[in-house]
Amino acid sequence: MITTEVVQVVDSTREITAAATRLRDVVRDEEIVPQTVLEIFENWSDALGDREFQEIPGLAFLRLWLRRGTLEPILQRELGPNALSGGWWEDGRARLRAFPLGLIGHWPAANIEIQPALSLTCALLAGNCCLVRVPSSLVDVNRRIMEKLQEADRSGIVTRRFFAASFDYSRMDLQEAMAQSVDGAMIWGGADAVSQIRKLTFPHWSRLLVFGPRVSAAAMDATTWGNAEERTTWCRRIARDVWQFDQQACSSPQTLFLERSDTCDPADFVDDLRKAFEEENVAHPRQEIAPSLTSAISLVRASWLLTNNGTSAVFPQAPDWTILLGKGATMSNPTQGRTLTVLVVDDLLEAISKFDGTLQTLGLGISDPEREEILTRAAGRNGVDRIVKLGRMHVFSSPWDGTELIRPLVRMVRHVQSQE
Amino acid sequence: MSLTAEIEQGIDCLLSEPPYGMDSERRQRGLLSLFKAEIAFACEKNASYANYVKHWPADFRTAQIIADLPYLPVGVFKANPPLSLISSEDVKRTLTSSATTGQVPSRIVLDAATSRRMGKGVLTIARDFIGSARRPYLVVDTPENLATQAQIGARGAAIQALRSFATEIVCCLQPTPGGEPRLDLDRILSCAAEWKDNEVLVYGFTYVIWMQFVQSLKSAGIKLDLPNARVLHSGGWKRLEEQAVTREAFSRDVAAVFGCPRSNIIDYYGMVENVGVIYPDCEYGNKHVPTFADIIVRDPLTLAPVAMGGKGLIQVCSVLPTSFPGFLLLTEDTAEVSSYDRCSCGRKGPSFRFAGRVPKAEVRGCGNLESKRQRQPEIVGVA
Repeated sequence: MITTEVVQVVDSTREITAAATRLRDVVRDEEIVPQTVLEIFENWSDALGDREFQEIPGLAFLRLWLRRGTLEPILQRELGPNALSGGWWEDGRARLRAFPLGLIGHWPAANIEIQPALSLTCALLAGNCCLVRVPSSLVDVNRRIMEKLQEADRSGIVTRRFFAASFDYSRMDLQEAMAQSVDGAMIWGGADAVSQIRKLTFPHWSRLLVFGPRVSAAAMDATTWGNAEERTTWCRRIARDVWQFDQQACSSPQTLFLERSDTCDPADFVDDLRKAFEEENVAHPRQEIAPSLTSAISLVRASWLLTNNGTSAVFPQAPDWTILLGKGATMSNPTQGRTLTVLVVDDLLEAISKFDGTLQTLGLGISDPEREEILTRAAGRNGVDRIVKLGRMHVFSSPWDGTELIRPLVRMVRHVQSQE
Repeated sequence: MSLTAEIEQGIDCLLSEPPYGMDSERRQRGLLSLFKAEIAFACEKNASYANYVKHWPADFRTAQIIADLPYLPVGVFKANPPLSLISSEDVKRTLTSSATTGQVPSRIVLDAATSRRMGKGVLTIARDFIGSARRPYLVVDTPENLATQAQIGARGAAIQALRSFATEIVCCLQPTPGGEPRLDLDRILSCAAEWKDNEVLVYGFTYVIWMQFVQSLKSAGIKLDLPNARVLHSGGWKRLEEQAVTREAFSRDVAAVFGCPRSNIIDYYGMVENVGVIYPDCEYGNKHVPTFADIIVRDPLTLAPVAMGGKGLIQVCSVLPTSFPGFLLLTEDTAEVSSYDRCSCGRKGPSFRFAGRVPKAEVRGCGNLESKRQRQPEIVGVA
């Protein structure tokens, strides 16, 4: 039964400190083991299966993330063999056990609908209590998502461990009050947003997990993109990765590198990609657009073609999507708005060698596993944190941005028997 | 007839028509074929532009309406070297837009023919609003903007475009060592005394008139007695909006300072990329499009033209330029379509109301990468 408003509009620092005090009591007095949280999350995932939730971008990923099958292995890997039951595990002559860090503040990005929920789940699995700032633009959707958690958690075991607050981003007094209350924080978003939150006064002991701005790319070897039979499937996967989150996520591909082929024409590949984009656009048409994005899309189309060094492009009259085709090994500047730059490169290693730490995810379509191993190692050396199959670039998993998602939110307590 | 001659003749023909006498349907027919010829001409002259046109989703040669023709976003004129259809020897003048600090200005190259048409275009439009008489011309700016130079800014271009109306030109701002121009009060007062009941043309950028002219005279408690002054101003409202100055307050105070009717204060919309075309407000507050131009307001979601009353991105269309591909340009401004051929002022053709500038596009979300990460040098010896 829904007893309180699950996302509360907050207007005073008093409300935040009162919530923080209550949550601090809960985290100290009520231990919760991951097994219990997993059960509730499993029910939450089921509850989110209603048809009305299907249109929420990324919801399928959230449902998958909440499954026991996804989370159990992560918990065991990050928190140790007895993590699920909250037990101790042997470490030589000592034993170790994960205890929650305490109260975790969450500052999710405003462009990913499911991010407040994703961020929250990491801290709850670690036994923490949470203060979540839900960005104003995401309040409605998160209210719906979190009401389903309330439904799935009728006894309130998990629900009483968090306080979701909505307030304007510019309310620095409220941001400060939140920062000063927490023992740890998960901060997500673009450069400005992340920098702004990091400037807040956190207690000296608090641990900050920052998932800042990144971009992503994709790469395919000549055998894969040249295979006319499988190309349609690969193109659909790419379209799906481009469409999710309107290409604003750090895991959204902005550039696709195609390894040069002596036998196949990239224009044929682009033609299949066009069909995939057209289909995806019919399935998921844009409902609105900022005029500035329309301007940016128009400008990048024109600028690309006006350079005229073998450049071509495919796009409809509307700003629905854009494919820019050219040559080169350097990532293009992201335009977003479903604008994918396809660059033909002699050797994928050349493109990967130019990556720096700005590149988060590399989506791959590579036919030869040995070749993939070489590319993966090169990508890892050049700062890439996730290397996944095309079509799965947004699948949320740990580690993210090269960082574990749950372990940093616990304290590993070491116990050596006093009688020994 | 060669393509160049056909275009030249078509433009001259439209320029000789009354600027607001042609209804929208007839205008469409005349402009469509001329724009097609201009696009073909530009493709011949510039391979990059031809590459753009080649990849446009529809073939311009079969377009049935102007809205289906390939247009360029104005931002492409920030490229270096400037996008041009003429050889460097034929460049008579380069116009630059008034970019704010940190922004790259647009650069527009003009040859003699485009330059001549630009002058004629502005003259034809302005004449319809202020009459054709020559009169004293008071420029609310500093004299250096009057100088004929190879490179000229938006302010200079706007000032010089009205020269043909002038019997004499007086610039009433004087540069100071500090950089902020100063109003030459003695000069103003002596001119006002001399010109008195004569027709006088005044031009200045909107914020310059407000900040340098009106505020100075108001604070000195001076009202000029120039009942027949016509004040044209342009350049946008952003700075005045920041100071919460409304259009009504602007017109009221400017009219009060000059001692003329409020209807003599005319705001117009224009940009260097749309050279030779200005869009003054009529007495009903609508901006009008002359016969040799057109305007399309496009829905940002679909880029399709909006219906009457709809708001969207402004596309300006002008047959005048042949030195750069500026015939069909998607601007970064928004407007609302007021009417087609039905404004109460009697001017035919489309009319619109300016709605605002589109904010600069920003890459959003966690994919918003503003600065590249650098590999930090290893820090050693930290205590």
